[in-house]
Amino acid sequence: MRILLALVLVLGLAACSPGDGGDTLKILAGSEVKDLEPLLKESGIDVELTYTGTLDGAEQVASGRAGEYDAIWFSSNRYLSLIDGARARLGTQTKIMVSPVVLALKPEKAAELGWTGKTVSWSDIATAATAGRFTFGMTNPASSNSGFSALVGVAAALSDADEALSAEQIHAVTPRLKGFFSAQRLTSGSSGWLAEAYTKRPDVDGLINYESVLLGMGGKLTLIYPSDGVVTADYPLTLLTSSPKKELYDRLAAWLRTPETQRKIMTTTFRRPILPEVRPDDRFGAAPLLELPFPNRRSAADELIGAYLNEVRPPARTRFVLDTSGSMEGDRIDALRQALVTLTGADTSASGTFSRFSNRETVTLLPFNNLPQPGREYVVPEKNPESTLMLIRGYAGGLRAQGGTAIYDALREAYQKEVRPGGYTSIVLMTDGENTDGSSLADFELFYRQLPEANRAVRTFVVLFGESDVAEMTRIADLTGGAVFDARQGSLAAAFKEIRGYQ
Amino acid sequence: MRRSWIGAGLALLLLGAVAAALVLGNRTGDELTVVRGVIGSEKKPFFDDPQVQAAFAKHGLKVEVDTAGSRDIATTVDLGKYAFAFPSSAPAAEKIKKDRGATVTFAPFHSPMAVATFQPIVDALTKAGLVTGNSLDIRKYLDLVANGTRWEDLAGSAYKARKRVLLTTTDIRSSNSAAMYLAVTSYVANNDDVVSSPQQADQVAPKIAPLFLDQGYSESSTEAPFEDYLAMGMGKTPMVMIYEAQYAARLFAADGAIRPDMRLLYPTPTVLSKHTLVPFDEPATRVGRLLTEDPEFARLAAKYGFRTANPQIFTDLAKGTQLATNLDDVVEPPTYEQLERLIAVIEQRYL
Repeated sequence: MRILLALVLVLGLAACSPGDGGDTLKILAGSEVKDLEPLLKESGIDVELTYTGTLDGAEQVASGRAGEYDAIWFSSNRYLSLIDGARARLGTQTKIMVSPVVLALKPEKAAELGWTGKTVSWSDIATAATAGRFTFGMTNPASSNSGFSALVGVAAALSDADEALSAEQIHAVTPRLKGFFSAQRLTSGSSGWLAEAYTKRPDVDGLINYESVLLGMGGKLTLIYPSDGVVTADYPLTLLTSSPKKELYDRLAAWLRTPETQRKIMTTTFRRPILPEVRPDDRFGAAPLLELPFPNRRSAADELIGAYLNEVRPPARTRFVLDTSGSMEGDRIDALRQALVTLTGADTSASGTFSRFSNRETVTLLPFNNLPQPGREYVVPEKNPESTLMLIRGYAGGLRAQGGTAIYDALREAYQKEVRPGGYTSIVLMTDGENTDGSSLADFELFYRQLPEANRAVRTFVVLFGESDVAEMTRIADLTGGAVFDARQGSLAAAFKEIRGYQ
Repeated sequence: MRRSWIGAGLALLLLGAVAAALVLGNRTGDELTVVRGVIGSEKKPFFDDPQVQAAFAKHGLKVEVDTAGSRDIATTVDLGKYAFAFPSSAPAAEKIKKDRGATVTFAPFHSPMAVATFQPIVDALTKAGLVTGNSLDIRKYLDLVANGTRWEDLAGSAYKARKRVLLTTTDIRSSNSAAMYLAVTSYVANNDDVVSSPQQADQVAPKIAPLFLDQGYSESSTEAPFEDYLAMGMGKTPMVMIYEAQYAARLFAADGAIRPDMRLLYPTPTVLSKHTLVPFDEPATRVGRLLTEDPEFARLAAKYGFRTANPQIFTDLAKGTQLATNLDDVVEPPTYEQLERLIAVIEQRYL
């Protein structure tokens, strides 16, 4: 799986009309709208999209740190609107298209469960999931809107609440959510990566994702629209009040809402049109979709994400293979210490809070130089995680830079550890240079191929830093089904935070 | 329509002459005077209309608009950037006028609050005794909500949803259409009387707060839930509180957005949303005057479903449609202060 997830992917779409005079509409966007890039080129408007995670983006906007952008375009503004001070920063909002978050299963599995062409509720789905009758993948609700929408929907449906969820209702529904998510086998920080990872995992029966992504997978899945409701993304293109480029924004919004563009959006990206004059075609099915209520208090939304990470989801087992060779001396080792400390709860922003090591998570720190160093394993307890997080913080603070770089010996060591069932095990490999000691990449590949299946299933997320060997690092990510994160320009802490969505 | 023109008679001729004088008086060059305003989102299609823009251009004006919730316009929006504010209600305009020391206001259009819904919903609510003809009885509706009734509990309801019977509105903290709904429901909850003292507001607000809070997340502008209604249908938005004009505009445009099973109900009582323009400078005053007095703008406004000073234009367009031409039970909204007090009490409950 070759996928380069740069922290900030800037894409300048060529202006088709020379009359624009280099006037560019800068949009901070969720990766969910990346598939519209080819279409945007036809708009004749110079658009520059910069991608970021949902919560991260929401915080940037709410805190006023998104001033360099003219507009934002996420799959939903709902969470953002719940943050204090955010609404005043949002100008005109124009809904562009619609896609509900639903479940899709392999046709055999849907038939086996008796769900083909039948009315199925989230309750039915939860019962089957709790009984282990199917498995699924879903994005991390703290990183991606599809996961968050699914979590809101499932929680609202299972709680039998007739109104928006409160904190108490979330507490009450947690045991049922645990049953539901015990069937989750695959997680991801983005909807696109999830869909791609799924195709390589025959043991996973289905996905919870946007209808558009599921339909875009080539008709190999049976879509199940839960009868008790869904949460729908409406992709509001939103002008920021600080931007002077209102006219450009208006032009783009108007163009996106012409019947012709709406039809193209429908046929090329499988999203439902927002324009009532353009009716959704047959592929979307005729069943009316009930919309589940969405929380109207930030505390409830945060409570739900917190409960998912710390109580509900199968716990993560995270192994950090960390370069502490001599070349890391100075700023780099500082950055590494800081990146780890960030994950112990030192970052108190919402995205920071939700990227900290979760309750029940096993965190293994495996530093290396010319040899793998004795690592440390921490199990964050179910309740009161602070003391363990303090220990991790202390360990990170004690990391010293010296010696050579035995990347593959260290990675071997990480892969040799036992993989226990019932959680997600993953590896983060961070190195700032080339392999100088011990086994080579070729040696590692040979070793990896001979590992038992369960060990081979462990993905490695590599972080490019300093003078990393991009080709070799990309090879490791491809080989293990991981992904590459680039911290050469941005901060190491931001890369570590982003990887949390995949763990 | 022709008859209305004749009916307007001399007055219109006179207005035309005034308008012509204005045009001639200001067309010194080809440059148009740009007038920037902040308006309620429901009026954006009107201002975006090329015919409306051409009509302004004839008078040497180019009107540019940003949209915001009416309550935001009256409170948080930086009005210093604009030459006029055009919120959707008289109370919000009154506040802006006072704050900015404006001397005149113009109320060129008005629109009653209405409920956009679907035939199966109308059937279910008719059986439940809430709907008679095209009227939705707000007192009975409040009783139903107080009981926590779910759609699936309504006898004979074809709409089987677990969610509660609740009108979708915009966010009461930012938007005028929700405030107008508050005006109606507070009137009924206050024993059929306009809330006119802080004591009454404090007493009534807790009773009607669940109408807003129990909906969960709500949008900040009136176009958004109506768009959901049109595009996503009954599943997302079984019934939504809107300005009649929003629905009427789509009917008049005959663009296929209003499908055969869509229905418009009028709450009983209802309230009129008086779209009121507050100008901060001379060109903006001209905009206000043109909208109010020039028959060309009245005709264009009617196309967008607004009722104007000349009721005949709307009556002619509404003939043979679901739209009501006579509204019997219309109440006044509370003053800005009382409305704010009601909202403030509800706002606290969001925390």
